[in-house]
Amino acid sequence: MTASAGIPTDAQPASPRLALRSAEFRREREAAWAQLEAILAEIEKRGIKGPAAEDLQRLPILYRGAVSSLSVARTIALDRNLLRYLEDLSLRAFLVVYGPRASAGEGFASFLARGFPAAVRAARWHILIAVLATALGIAAGDMLVSADTDWFSALVPSDLSGGRGPASTAAELRQSEIFAPWEGFVASFVVFANSLFRHNAIIALMAFGLGFLAGVPTLLLLVYNGLTLGAFLAIHAKRGLTIDFLGWISIHGVTELAAIVLAGGGGLVIADAVLFPRRHGRLATLVRKGREATKLGGGAVLMLFVAGLIEGGMRQLVANTDGRFAIAAVTASLWLTYFLSGRRRGARVADGA
Amino acid sequence: MAREDTDRLAPADRVALLFDGTRRRTRALVTPEGVALRVDIAQRGERVGAFLLDVLFWSLATAAIFVALLIAGAGGMEGDVLTTIVLFLAFLLRNLYFIHFELAWRGRTPGKRICGLRVVDRAGGHLAAGAVVARNLTREVELFLPLEALASVAAANGVAVWAQLATFGWIVAIAAIPFLNRDHLRAGDLIAGTLVIAMPRRALAPELAEDTTDYVFTPAQLRAYGAFELQVLEELLRQGRSQDTRRLHAEVAAKISQRIGWPVPVPELDHERFLRAFYTAERAELEREQLYGRRRDDKDAARQRSTR
Repeated sequence: MTASAGIPTDAQPASPRLALRSAEFRREREAAWAQLEAILAEIEKRGIKGPAAEDLQRLPILYRGAVSSLSVARTIALDRNLLRYLEDLSLRAFLVVYGPRASAGEGFASFLARGFPAAVRAARWHILIAVLATALGIAAGDMLVSADTDWFSALVPSDLSGGRGPASTAAELRQSEIFAPWEGFVASFVVFANSLFRHNAIIALMAFGLGFLAGVPTLLLLVYNGLTLGAFLAIHAKRGLTIDFLGWISIHGVTELAAIVLAGGGGLVIADAVLFPRRHGRLATLVRKGREATKLGGGAVLMLFVAGLIEGGMRQLVANTDGRFAIAAVTASLWLTYFLSGRRRGARVADGA
Repeated sequence: MAREDTDRLAPADRVALLFDGTRRRTRALVTPEGVALRVDIAQRGERVGAFLLDVLFWSLATAAIFVALLIAGAGGMEGDVLTTIVLFLAFLLRNLYFIHFELAWRGRTPGKRICGLRVVDRAGGHLAAGAVVARNLTREVELFLPLEALASVAAANGVAVWAQLATFGWIVAIAAIPFLNRDHLRAGDLIAGTLVIAMPRRALAPELAEDTTDYVFTPAQLRAYGAFELQVLEELLRQGRSQDTRRLHAEVAAKISQRIGWPVPVPELDHERFLRAFYTAERAELEREQLYGRRRDDKDAARQRSTR
């Protein structure tokens, strides 16, 4: 099958016997198109495992044949139906030949093994800015509430403070918060863990999604998240509970804060692409950076799931500050190892994941 | 103004405009072989339809799981435990649903399949798993989370009107994005580098050109028309036989005979044969001319050439 088969070598005068080059071309190729169409119909109905093995082997050849037929038809034929049919056939074959190669499971595994850690390393400067914004918020919240406890109710919404505030005594904070009794498996691991997860996931995904708006809302959200944490720190410090509070918050906070900071970093990557499109143009830069950023957002949600389990289920079970610090240290070093893993391989395959 | 606009279109587009009333937005997708395939961009309405179908399927699946849990003896659980489990499963299910189907069915979810839509890579390459995940996770931020936030804020006795307004504004802003770009991309498509296209199924109709003909036309007669008129005639000849078509055939045959100066009136029963013969001869002529680099888009282009 060569492309030259359909190109006439001489022109014929109009006469009772008509030989249209395009009609002749169609007669020669029609069988191959029908074959391709049958294989495509099979794949579209039953998936890539539908057709027989030899049909699958012929598929790329038939696809190229159809594409070359289309090129030829565009130059020699004016049959509208034929042209549209060939465009349609080539497109359908193209989508099968160049379809996604991985299943959802494989995609997820490669995301966990390579994509997510590589995305974190690639966005380290954006993540650093997110860390700084959060730190700024914590410091400001602590300072404001330490200086004037009225700030607490202004910074922390009532559903988050849950009755705690500047008026709470050390004993109250100890019994109803830091060393509150464990409420049993289902209430802790299912209900509480899940409500924490959903609440945090919304914050993280908002920090990520709002990167679209040049990153300003992302930074504000990160600072605000820090502010509430700083405010809590201040009222506990006032009652001499700094160490116990830090233990209580860090057991899950290591994972949770890291996740929110990563999601914020993802938002800043998008903001970077929107603000500074560089030489590829805004849309192309957004595509290139956006995929990396989504890995951060998605990974952050997974981390928040872990954080929710630790906070909702395990925190009150480990009722001593030393144990909590120990778990915090273990989780921190695990995350760090994970993010630094696969650096050599990651550099090469990060784009494919 | 409108006339000028239609003049600048390719003949094929003008035929579509004539017969369908509208012309879909198209975009060239360049395959790795270097051939540009013209794809029809999905209309916003079709995309909303496909999405609503998918939401319906997802809700049904969630409801089925809920019922299964109840039957399996979860009825003894406390209400909020059950709600939590169902909410979490719903969250998991909708993300798995979209991502799984768009990967396994090469860019189609059940809703998109019913509506004839497909997700493709904008640059014409492989649809990467990363792109599918990206465009679907973004939907979570675009729509589901704000909706949930709106519902939860509304449930919390309307303390924070500004928060409600902000989430509402967010949803409106996100919903506006597909109206602000020519490819109808939503935020997830922008980030993932994808495009949603419509896939009409076109069958290969029988060849219209004949091998032999009873009517012979002179080259001068065939110079009266261009590709646009030829393709309109093709569409007309491909229409099913009916009273209407017969009437149209008669009208068009009369018009053509008048324009090319056909000496005798075409007999009543012979209109279709005459038109097919003219179609064959005209197509032979135009295709030959096109091969020599003399494209003739329509009858106006034909007249200009003959007067020069």
